Amino acid sequence: MAARAIWKGSLVLGKHEVPIKMYSAVQDRAVHFHLLHDKDLTPVEQRIVRKDNGREVAKEAQRKAFPLDGQRAVILEPDELAQLAPESDRAIHLLRFVPRDALGDEWFDRPYYLGPDEKGDADYFALASALAGKERIGIARWVMRDKRYVGALAVGDDGYLRMTTLRRSEQVLDVPAVHPDKARTPSPAEIKLAEQLVDSITGPFSPEEWHNEYRERLHKLIEAKAKGTKLKLVAAKPKEATSDLTESLRASLAQAKGKKVA
Amino acid sequence: MRSFWSGTITFGLVSIPVDLFAAVVPRQKSMKLVDEEGHPLGRRYWCPKHEKVLDDDELVRGYETDAGKMVVITDEEFASAAPEKSRDIELKRFVAVDDIPPYFFDRPYFLAPDERAGKAYALLAETMAKTGKAGIGSFVMRDHEYLVAIVSEQGMLRAEVLRYLDELRTPEAVGLPKAAKADAARVRALAKEIDALAEAKIDAAELADLEAETLRKFAEQKAKSGKGVISMADLEGDEDDAASSAQVIDLVQVLRDSLGASAKKAPATKSAAKKTNAPAVKKAATKKAARSAG
Repeated sequence: MAARAIWKGSLVLGKHEVPIKMYSAVQDRAVHFHLLHDKDLTPVEQRIVRKDNGREVAKEAQRKAFPLDGQRAVILEPDELAQLAPESDRAIHLLRFVPRDALGDEWFDRPYYLGPDEKGDADYFALASALAGKERIGIARWVMRDKRYVGALAVGDDGYLRMTTLRRSEQVLDVPAVHPDKARTPSPAEIKLAEQLVDSITGPFSPEEWHNEYRERLHKLIEAKAKGTKLKLVAAKPKEATSDLTESLRASLAQAKGKKVA
Repeated sequence: MRSFWSGTITFGLVSIPVDLFAAVVPRQKSMKLVDEEGHPLGRRYWCPKHEKVLDDDELVRGYETDAGKMVVITDEEFASAAPEKSRDIELKRFVAVDDIPPYFFDRPYFLAPDERAGKAYALLAETMAKTGKAGIGSFVMRDHEYLVAIVSEQGMLRAEVLRYLDELRTPEAVGLPKAAKADAARVRALAKEIDALAEAKIDAAELADLEAETLRKFAEQKAKSGKGVISMADLEGDEDDAASSAQVIDLVQVLRDSLGASAKKAPATKSAAKKTNAPAVKKAATKKAARSAG
């Protein structure tokens, strides 16, 4: 069954407009549980309460407070928030196109497919084709359902456009530059061994090889328990840190050479 | 300061004990929930039958089978599903970082070396940096398994949580139409527009949180009138936050302690926001409280 579009709009670059439909590119696979009262397994509900007296507060009486600084916050009334909501012009504005590596992976938040709108098939695939030849991603801004978004427009190997929303600059923490002291700096010989070891188990990124084993085992565990099977419980054991690095690397290499990675 | 997870990265026979910390923080515009008078509000679990608020230790997780049977899974049973994965990230494969498409990236974490990590941490960081590679492995944290790419930046290792393939829809599943032949003249015209907008770098201003700025300006203006101003002291330090965001990131200190490292730059964003948060907890979609795993 085909997915429903979550939004319709247009990609705007220069004087060109390409009509598109937007679809979520991710699907939830998590195993969902009900939260139950341990006494008699009554399903519990969530309530919003006052923290000081535990009394329930109805939706209409709930407000949001914007923290100004460490000392004060300001309550914003629903009509004020509505008035501050940005207006949508149904346009995804392309601001600039940058090389793919201009943006670190930590910026990427949530991917969406862009698909052609009925009236703009040809333009959609023309843009995908134009972008595919550039090795660049487009930085875009748009307003969708009263919220502002920033995203990166890219084209996949499959020829379809994808928009991945980006985190805001305030969200991404800078990396502290690390310079370990001498005792914790590996020797050139050790680095060379490590490179050989890494090389020996290097391959293409093949996402189909990776399965969520925990989820699979959880499903089996639930099935077994539903049938009344007694489960054997196993606890985790912590590992020791490597003491002799060079020796570990040599042994690893020998092992890796013994069983060639598929 | 508290990490989300502590465990060991292994590649070959080399093992590196590490602690995991958040590398992204919640948006600035995240607001506090209060009532009309400004009393702080919180989310509580309520048992409709016993008509009382429940503590976390009075809750169990139940899975409803297709037959409508409720199967309770205990914390120990959750932990038992993949015990080895709750302690280790075994790097089974290395790939070129550029080979991983952007839509696989979900959420980044910093990996700080444990004091016992010795040279092995710097060894992996340097090897990843030199080769432009990422180590791929998986681990279990808080009853979820995460696929991660271990990458290096400025001597620091990062764990990039990746989506599993079955968490990504295919164009066929979405129902996107087969590629239509593009008109060469249109392709050229659009390529020209792309060239006109081509830049070497991103502009941080384009990634700024305009929503937060709008809210801040309005809130500051409103505060001058004195209307709706409440004290933050009442809102902070409550138990809801303690569970998720009480930790203040001082990675530089962690690195100094564990690595004898001279870590120069404090981790700070443009706004110098220093609070971190737990991985986003899914809000229950229905009135009944729910929790996910896997």
